[in-house]
Amino acid sequence: MSEILQYIPGKSFLHHLSPVTKLLLVVVIVGLSVLSSQVPFLCILIVILVIGTLFSGLIRELIHQVPFLLMLSFFLVILTSLTVQEGELLLTLIPSSDPAVQGFGITMGGLIFGVVLSLRFVVMITAFQLFVITTKPSDLVTGLLTFRLPVDYVLMLLIALRFIPSLQLEAKRIHEAQLCRGYNPGTGISGKIRSLKPIMIPLVANSLAKTQVLGLTLDMRGYRSRKTLPLHQLVFGRGDYICAFLGVLILAIFLYIHLLPLI
Amino acid sequence: MILATSLSYTYPVGSRPALREITLSIRAGELVLVTGPTAAGKTTLCYALSGIIQHEFGGTLTGYLAFRDRPVADYAGVGELNRYISMVFDDADAQLIFTSVEEELASGLETRLNSREEINERITRVMELCGISHLRERPPYTLSGGQKQRVAIAAALAMDTEVLILDEPTSELDVHATGNIIKTLKNLKKEGKTIIIVDHSLEGYRNVADRVLVMKEGRIEREGTFEEIFPETQGNMNVLYEDPDLVPYKPVNNNPIVRIDTLKKRYGDVQALNGVSVTLYDGEFIALLGENGSGKTTLVKHLNGLLRPDSGSVLVKSLDAAVAPVIDLVKETGLVFQNPDTMLFADSVEEEILFGLGNIGSADPQKTIKEVLAMVGLSGSEPVYPRHLSRGERQRLAVACILAMKPGIIILDEPTTGLDDRESDRMMELMMTLQRNGHTIIMVTHNMRIAEEYADRIIAMENGRVIGDYTNLRRKAA
Repeated sequence: MSEILQYIPGKSFLHHLSPVTKLLLVVVIVGLSVLSSQVPFLCILIVILVIGTLFSGLIRELIHQVPFLLMLSFFLVILTSLTVQEGELLLTLIPSSDPAVQGFGITMGGLIFGVVLSLRFVVMITAFQLFVITTKPSDLVTGLLTFRLPVDYVLMLLIALRFIPSLQLEAKRIHEAQLCRGYNPGTGISGKIRSLKPIMIPLVANSLAKTQVLGLTLDMRGYRSRKTLPLHQLVFGRGDYICAFLGVLILAIFLYIHLLPLI
Repeated sequence: MILATSLSYTYPVGSRPALREITLSIRAGELVLVTGPTAAGKTTLCYALSGIIQHEFGGTLTGYLAFRDRPVADYAGVGELNRYISMVFDDADAQLIFTSVEEELASGLETRLNSREEINERITRVMELCGISHLRERPPYTLSGGQKQRVAIAAALAMDTEVLILDEPTSELDVHATGNIIKTLKNLKKEGKTIIIVDHSLEGYRNVADRVLVMKEGRIEREGTFEEIFPETQGNMNVLYEDPDLVPYKPVNNNPIVRIDTLKKRYGDVQALNGVSVTLYDGEFIALLGENGSGKTTLVKHLNGLLRPDSGSVLVKSLDAAVAPVIDLVKETGLVFQNPDTMLFADSVEEEILFGLGNIGSADPQKTIKEVLAMVGLSGSEPVYPRHLSRGERQRLAVACILAMKPGIIILDEPTTGLDDRESDRMMELMMTLQRNGHTIIMVTHNMRIAEEYADRIIAMENGRVIGDYTNLRRKAA
């Protein structure tokens, strides 16, 4: 079973970068992907991310994600194709009665918008994932705290990340227990949804039962009034400064080019 | 150190008081063992003594409770009390908050210790004490139940508070690991720490506990030294292989029901089963005994297709368990999991049992439901919401759910975890009845006592191998 969004130890360049630098880079990359609607540019961003992944030896994790990302893209393209009616009509689904007016169907504009949206999601998900799996959770916390995020929220994120594999494991255990009772995951969409009940109810109930002990533990360790979390000293290296500088520079240039025509 | 005078408490949703007229004085440096049946108020007492009830829970609290000669109510909440008191809760998984063992221990230390070096030194020392040094960088989800408990205990010890309150901290530990924890507690007592511990397995505390409190229905029923309360040996601490009542196993009949041959199974880097060969016969009551991680649970999961062998063979009656569909295997072998809450999901007891019956297509479900509920002692509770039952009742309901499907073989994974002695004996009596009715019982356990009292065959496992197969004479004599 692969664990979702869990830190994978390593010694790569990305692992060595300070969490603050990485967070900054993520912000820059996400910012660029939102600002740009040029397909080639978004592709370049993806290539950069893939190169980064290759260098950190995590390409296998990324490949695991490909089916999910393709499915997401597929649904996004379908959605935009059906909702955005712009540009040349490629495939008429409902012909128009008035020959002067274009019928309803898949348009060039809708298709391109779908592709752009998918690429943006791919960029954002990959960048964030790369950040999370190359950063020790404690460093991640340090990074977020440096950006002045309130302790409570950072702790919430940390606990959420911590309990993802626990929930996966619990779900597997429940699934096995129900298999022992002849549980048969249904077929078809409605069957699948109905057959979720024997898994989801124990999962949710057992997780809720844990919250009291979790909260009390936090209290007993004194986190109610705490303004910090177990800190690891931030260490900036030369690589950090270079990356941070380059990231900010690229964002600045990009903003300049994009905003110049508006002024 | 702690003084309680006629302390009574009722939970906000409770109808009856969880604590009644508790009067108790605990001196500094004392080790107090609290025991008693399930729902006797032991956990509530822990919450009360740590100040959690006063400051975090609602409900009605009467009486007086003071800590270091100052009323607990006067403290500025748990935020102030946690400087003096740390607590280990009974759910180990839920109290591991951070993403590595090291951080878990570091949490809460940064305001207590000045430098990173001091923190590191403390963590290293506590990890050695609890035998978890090798787990330093590990995230919690990779730990076993016993390891999680040891980390939770270590996290509390790292705080180095004057008072340590532990609520059933060793329920998932084997004899060896429990022994180590008790030894650690003994050393802490020498350092002058005050320790309050709730536990069901008692014998290890002889000559360690200064005082024993036996609770029942929210009251302290008996109080005294360990010798006064328990003059006789509690449970069995013997090493299995030296036991004179165990003789090498001889088959009692000629009807093999399960045949396992050189079964191997690997998880990642761990060889969980390393060539297990064993034959089980019809109508036996078998205890599969071994320490944490010896491969017991992995082995039984092969009997109903939850796991498939890497190599070797498993035959259940005439089915090849390596390839037979799970739905066919579960009609022959019913596996009851350790924690009943992993399976209970329905809105009523009746519906809960009906789920399994529906899946295998039973002819007369209503009759079967009545029968199995009568067998497990839950007659008349058909309309009850399963999660409102007590832990012992839920465990018996889980057995009923499996029983209703009428499997010839019934497997129980650690059936007595979380149950007190009375409830576990009741569970075992039920198993003996089922054996008399012709079922084959396989019980996975690390509890020597119940294995010796109830099983007629004991198979010992270690590191994925069977290291001993015995006929248990003691049970026959009984």
